[in-house]
Amino acid sequence: MGNRTEEDYNFVFKVVLIGESGVGKTNLLSRFTRNEFNHDSRTTIGVEFSTRTVMLGTAAVKAQIWDTAGLERYRAITSAYYRGAVGALLVFDLTKHQTYAVVERWLKELYDHAEATIIVMLVGNKSDLSQAREVPTEEARMFAENNGLLFLETSALDSTNVELAFETVLKEIFAKVSKQRQNSTRTGAITLGSGQAGQELGPGEKRACCISL
Amino acid sequence: MVGPEDAGACSGRNPKLLPVPAPEPVGQDGKIIRATGGFGGGVGAVEPPEEEEEEEEAEEETPPRQLLQRYLAAAGGQLEPGLFYCPLSAGQAHALPPSAAPRSGACKLGSASKHRSAEVAADGRALRHGGMTNGDSGFLLDQDCRDLEEARGLPRAGGREPRGRRPCGRLCLERPGDGGADCAGSPSDWAAPLEDPLRSCCLAAAGAESQEGAGSDSGGSSASGGSSEDLEHPVAGAGGPEEGALPAASAERTSGGAGAESLLGFSNVHLNSRNTFEVSRSQSVGDHLPPPALPQPLPAAEQGTVAASARARRSGGFAEFFARNLFPKRTKELKSVAHSAPGWKLFGKVPPRENLQRTSKIIQQEYEARTGRTCKPPLQSSRRKNFEFEPLSTTALILEDRPSNLPAKSVEEALRHRQEYDEMVAEAKKREIKEAHKRKKIMKERFKQEENIASAMVIWINEILPNWEVMRSTRRVRELWWQGLPPSVRGKVWSLAVGNELNITPELYEIFLSRAKERWKSFSETSSENDTEGVSVADREASLELIKLDISRTFPSLYIFQKGGPYHDVLHSILGAYTCYRPDVGYVQGMSFIAAVLILNLEEADAFIAFANLLNKPCQLAFFRVDHSMMLKYFATFEVFFEENLSKLFLHFKSYSLTPDIYLIDWIFTLYSKSLPLDLACRVWDVFCRDGEEFLFRTGLGILRLYEDILLQMDFIHIAQFLTKLPEDITSEKLFSCIAAIQMQNSTKKWTQVFASVMKDIKEGDKNNSPALKS
Repeated sequence: MGNRTEEDYNFVFKVVLIGESGVGKTNLLSRFTRNEFNHDSRTTIGVEFSTRTVMLGTAAVKAQIWDTAGLERYRAITSAYYRGAVGALLVFDLTKHQTYAVVERWLKELYDHAEATIIVMLVGNKSDLSQAREVPTEEARMFAENNGLLFLETSALDSTNVELAFETVLKEIFAKVSKQRQNSTRTGAITLGSGQAGQELGPGEKRACCISL
Repeated sequence: MVGPEDAGACSGRNPKLLPVPAPEPVGQDGKIIRATGGFGGGVGAVEPPEEEEEEEEAEEETPPRQLLQRYLAAAGGQLEPGLFYCPLSAGQAHALPPSAAPRSGACKLGSASKHRSAEVAADGRALRHGGMTNGDSGFLLDQDCRDLEEARGLPRAGGREPRGRRPCGRLCLERPGDGGADCAGSPSDWAAPLEDPLRSCCLAAAGAESQEGAGSDSGGSSASGGSSEDLEHPVAGAGGPEEGALPAASAERTSGGAGAESLLGFSNVHLNSRNTFEVSRSQSVGDHLPPPALPQPLPAAEQGTVAASARARRSGGFAEFFARNLFPKRTKELKSVAHSAPGWKLFGKVPPRENLQRTSKIIQQEYEARTGRTCKPPLQSSRRKNFEFEPLSTTALILEDRPSNLPAKSVEEALRHRQEYDEMVAEAKKREIKEAHKRKKIMKERFKQEENIASAMVIWINEILPNWEVMRSTRRVRELWWQGLPPSVRGKVWSLAVGNELNITPELYEIFLSRAKERWKSFSETSSENDTEGVSVADREASLELIKLDISRTFPSLYIFQKGGPYHDVLHSILGAYTCYRPDVGYVQGMSFIAAVLILNLEEADAFIAFANLLNKPCQLAFFRVDHSMMLKYFATFEVFFEENLSKLFLHFKSYSLTPDIYLIDWIFTLYSKSLPLDLACRVWDVFCRDGEEFLFRTGLGILRLYEDILLQMDFIHIAQFLTKLPEDITSEKLFSCIAAIQMQNSTKKWTQVFASVMKDIKEGDKNNSPALKS
């Protein structure tokens, strides 16, 4: 998987980053899109955006990532941002059990607002701080399995698994889309979003310029 | 335009993502200045070992200096009297963009000024990380010198004030043997130890000059402007009941007024206090601001100092110093010197008063005496002299003959090399000239700005503030207000404008603060339980946790709110007290930015009062309660004016279903303090205090207008990305001219009327412009 030029893509996938405040969503994103980690990143208010185009086989997939504010109070606003998302990274801080304890609530919220077919990965971030770990890997893995989520532990600080996490999600989405596409060409029953092929993406495309699943 | 925002265009931004623009004087200074530990004793106490190092540094830098000399010669000898190139240390040179290395007028951070370089470095770091770059760069030595030189140099070079070539360049003062040109080009290592006294002389000279020039000389008058501003500030400070009149302040006040006489006296104040406070300043600053290499919380040992300072602050006057010096008072280097005096005095080390009555004459004598004693007599060693005229750099290597074991260069080759070398030199000269012009222009603008600020401040303090209620809505005041508030009166004006409808007293604040502290205590005792699902308890816990988390994520680049930083506790206190004062609102992300900006401009209790009252405004209340329907109304009203003012862009956004909540949420929640450079954000706050919520949305439209052309080329995600992360080089002039061009009239309807009708529409339930929030 390599980077391609920003504008040269076949698919746009909208992916949201959710989870409690301070678990490292913004740094996961900056690590993935710019390979940067910032020790003093600022609080996210509302939502921030970043994109990165990756190659999946022959297809260029542009991940359009919505980095949302983690604060409970903002959820009401940010839940609107889930609409049209085809992937989500539900991030918790594996050194803070509290951020894991509320994962279920986040999940519920996500399913309330996003498509049921959305690909979700549970991400235990800050794996570099293993000595301060409060959430056992197995516990989180079990939870993920039981809920049909992907699972990875990452460290935005030392880059561990960050690429893998995003790319796994994108691959899953891609696989799903490809399958669906085949179906839809056969049955014509499923309408695809306008983001079928990057070159065809015109200005008329809608805010969630992504494939609908 | 008033306001030094320009120079601070990158403030408040993420340092890591922020390339320091090469020609930007402030950023550069922030970057290049080396952190040398905070030692050194007083002026002129030259450390012999340092001189060696200096000389080496000078050698390293010879070629650029030479280039400069050539350039200067080529430029027709239009030397500014004080202009000379001072070598930077190796470390500094590294950080410099090559083209900027031979900066004319750059001042040597010599051994004698090492003690200051520590503070400078600390300051520089802060600058580099943004935020504090109010164009004055505080006590940036480098900047200082240049300013002073420019102050005197500009009018001369511009030929506006063809006064005789007085040997007032500081080198010349000391070395009458050197003519101006010689002075400019001569090696400056010997000058370095003189740095401080010389500067003092400059100050004195500037003061004297402005006396003569009576304002016709732009340099002189800007210097005088600075002086008067400095003088004025303590007056302003003393206006507030909370600022116990510091001896220094009152002393300065006695010399107050903006009269020419006092100017002279004032420059004395500067340099005296400066000299006197050097030791304590260098140490304390070193303690307070972590060195650039360690952007970590302060070492444990030093936290004591910080804690002490926090305590001192709470107990009164210290805040004056810190608030002024760390952030809003940055407008003038001269000023920061003045302010630091009373401030540092609070550390109890130096009595500032004894020095205040000296005249510049005495200073000069003293300085001459001292330099006679401390300065090495002309250090133009033969070694150095030789280097002056021989190219040393690698570019010049091509002029050298090949080593004897290799075949010699052919004539053509030698010729070609000579030619190439000349071209390079010519190129460098050209660059230099261009840079110099650019710098000159920037400086000119800045001086104008600073003059404006200085004169505006006099008006604010003497005329407006004493008659606030009468004056506040007059046209003249409103116009002056639009120009930006002088940082020294900013907090005061904000407080007055925000008002205190809630009738909060400092005592009440203390009560809520102690309540918050109790809660934290009990919280930390019971914090072992993690999975409290009881919503209110969990929320409250989360709120406290969140405050802690967010404080360090508030203006992280300033390093003053993070753990161990001087205002960490204050920010914590204000936010904690607020959650006790308004449990119905609690803590919402975004608040920390607002509180932080207030802390930077006001005393703790006043900051709290302003904070609580500000959040009590309808718009802020709607947002911080995350009251959807109200927010929607604001967005809808915004869109009415959006369409009215920028219809093309409005349609463009519409075509992508890009709703205002995407960008407005961030802007409104933090009142732009997160999105715009801090200086610029403060200017937005200024007018927000004048015009109310309407101005927040007007500013938003101004931003859209400023970037309209770019935005029209972008698609959804790029617009969203762009608007949630605005360019860092946004300048106040451009933004404010765009804001000014935004009409807040929708076919004779004003903001409030449109808002009212939107309220009605939405009540009728047929209109909803922000589908994003319909969830």
